[in-house]
Amino acid sequence: MKRLALAIAAVCLAVPAAHAQTQAELNDDHKSPENVLTYGMGYSQQRYSTLKDINRSSVKRLKPVWATALSSNYGEQGQPLVYNGVMYVANAEHTIAIDIETGRQLWRTPVEFDPQVGRVICCGFSNKGPAIYNGKVFRGTLDAHVVALDAKTGKQVWKQKVAEWKEGFSITSAPLVANGVLITGMSGAEFGVRGFLDAYDPDTGKHLWRRYTIPAPGEPGSETWPKDDSWKRGGGSTWITGSYDPELDLVYWGIGNAGPWNPGGRPGDNLYTASVIALKPKTGEVAWHYQLVPNEMFDLDATWEWILGDLTINGQKRKTVMHMSRGGFLYVLDRTNGKLLAAEPFEKVNWATHVDMKTGRPVESDVSRRVRAGEEVELWPGQWGAKNWAHAAFNPDTGLLYANTMHQARMVKFVPVEYKVGQRYVGLENSPWKERPKDLPIGHVEAIDPMTGKPKWRAPIMDIPHYSAVLATAGGLLFTGKETGEFLAIDAETGKTLWQFQTSSGINAQPITYTHKGRQYVSIQVGLGGVNVARMGPQLANVPRGGSVWTFALD
Amino acid sequence: MTMKRLVWWAALAVMAPAAYADMEDTPSPEQIKRGAALYAQHCAACHGPRMADPEGAFDLRKFPPDQRSRFINSVTNGKNSMPPWGGLFKREEIDSLWAYVVAGEKK
Repeated sequence: MKRLALAIAAVCLAVPAAHAQTQAELNDDHKSPENVLTYGMGYSQQRYSTLKDINRSSVKRLKPVWATALSSNYGEQGQPLVYNGVMYVANAEHTIAIDIETGRQLWRTPVEFDPQVGRVICCGFSNKGPAIYNGKVFRGTLDAHVVALDAKTGKQVWKQKVAEWKEGFSITSAPLVANGVLITGMSGAEFGVRGFLDAYDPDTGKHLWRRYTIPAPGEPGSETWPKDDSWKRGGGSTWITGSYDPELDLVYWGIGNAGPWNPGGRPGDNLYTASVIALKPKTGEVAWHYQLVPNEMFDLDATWEWILGDLTINGQKRKTVMHMSRGGFLYVLDRTNGKLLAAEPFEKVNWATHVDMKTGRPVESDVSRRVRAGEEVELWPGQWGAKNWAHAAFNPDTGLLYANTMHQARMVKFVPVEYKVGQRYVGLENSPWKERPKDLPIGHVEAIDPMTGKPKWRAPIMDIPHYSAVLATAGGLLFTGKETGEFLAIDAETGKTLWQFQTSSGINAQPITYTHKGRQYVSIQVGLGGVNVARMGPQLANVPRGGSVWTFALD
Repeated sequence: MTMKRLVWWAALAVMAPAAYADMEDTPSPEQIKRGAALYAQHCAACHGPRMADPEGAFDLRKFPPDQRSRFINSVTNGKNSMPPWGGLFKREEIDSLWAYVVAGEKK
């Protein structure tokens, strides 16, 4: 009876909206289990679902109901969207619509791009997913375009060139629609670009504004760059989708590493690299910013998920935004004004002793001094980070973050580098940690208190880095995947794996959960790809390539 | 010319440059040095600094030194996870890379 009531409710909600997703629906995405309309399953990017049918007791009955191929071998990193019984998926080569009931492909629209673009892609041919709004599906392309497709037919409605790929630009991130504005980030900080965010009218593709992340001479923050051309190739890419608070009307976007990685030629704080900015979506006006690492030098991107959550701190409820950084510190900020509330380490860190809570700046250690002086050092966390883009989840009831983290060091050393248009502009040599104990796992999943950085529990997952996002549910479960293809359901209380299923390739993508006709489903894109394939070849050599979407439900 | 003979000449015309390309010229120290610099900037990120620790990418220390045309072809057109470099590198730059791969780090 409950299932019937839910089904009736779902139909009543779905029918009036037809194919036009409104801003109101996007604002409430975290509350509507039958749709997934935003990156992060809600603008807060908590990746948390209130659905409970699949829970600790019932998960043993979880079975695949369909698996649909995605016509690409490059690898799957995306998060699907769901609207009105249709799933929308993106990878580097296609945008695809799938009927949720049967798994049947409804349409598939190829992405046209010159294969030579690969030479400006640092980390694998991939796409993090589409955006959806007002009857259209939007996605970025590797050759730095944004495309709008009709959600019903997949036919192109408009296409805009965002930047010239031959100058080092590309797009792999999912766009964001906030307050009726479509915003895209970009990649290229390893190729000497000047980073930015671009905004477009979603209905027409008309360009609305560009917010550069590196100030030109005379602009606010330009005093943090030397008085030469280095700002033109200063990096500051924006390669993961921002989060949004509709009440404050603020978009929170993380900004990437400085270019080149070798900091010798760019003394100064180098705003706004390795920072988070809070901006108004209609105008791109910056309300506040916080820089995590001034004059950063280890590719310390601050790009991935800035999770919105309300925390009780010293007895007071605070509106916060949280980030598990590459460099190993867990930042909690007041999202109304950018005030730093906590910055504790969640992993072993040796490039800084701590973050000074008065200035918000990390205090550099002897390791940082030695590498600036030209020595080779064992760097913790390694250059790949204490955490990378594999998104964490936040449960607002437990107040805990659940994340895939990495415990490893790398040997790093700076070398000279010269800028040439569209060519790699890094200047850092990066080798394996020489003394790594053989049985020390790198990949962990853990439940972490945001204010202390301490784990409630920590479970090893893989002996290599892993790149799957985590999904948390009110059923007490975490869902995530392994590079060897196992899709896992983990007890969020203890870290114990309660269920797993061997899918067809490796998993380095983002699980979602939703209902359709009252039944709860979990879906995940499967397909080994991304930078990990080049890094971890021997361990992953026997994992077959090939993209697909797998969907599971209770038996 | 008969069809058969035409085909034979065509095959020879296609194979001959490839056969010529596999013949080894002795690379100069300058060429090796240029190749090392190009390698450090463009290739080391995946194939490892100075070809050591390639991890997942092809281990160039094991590339057969008598398969130059295979190297030129793979670098120009891309192979597996490696993108095509033909749009960026001039032919003599790829030759320098080859010189470095074969001779470069043996000292």
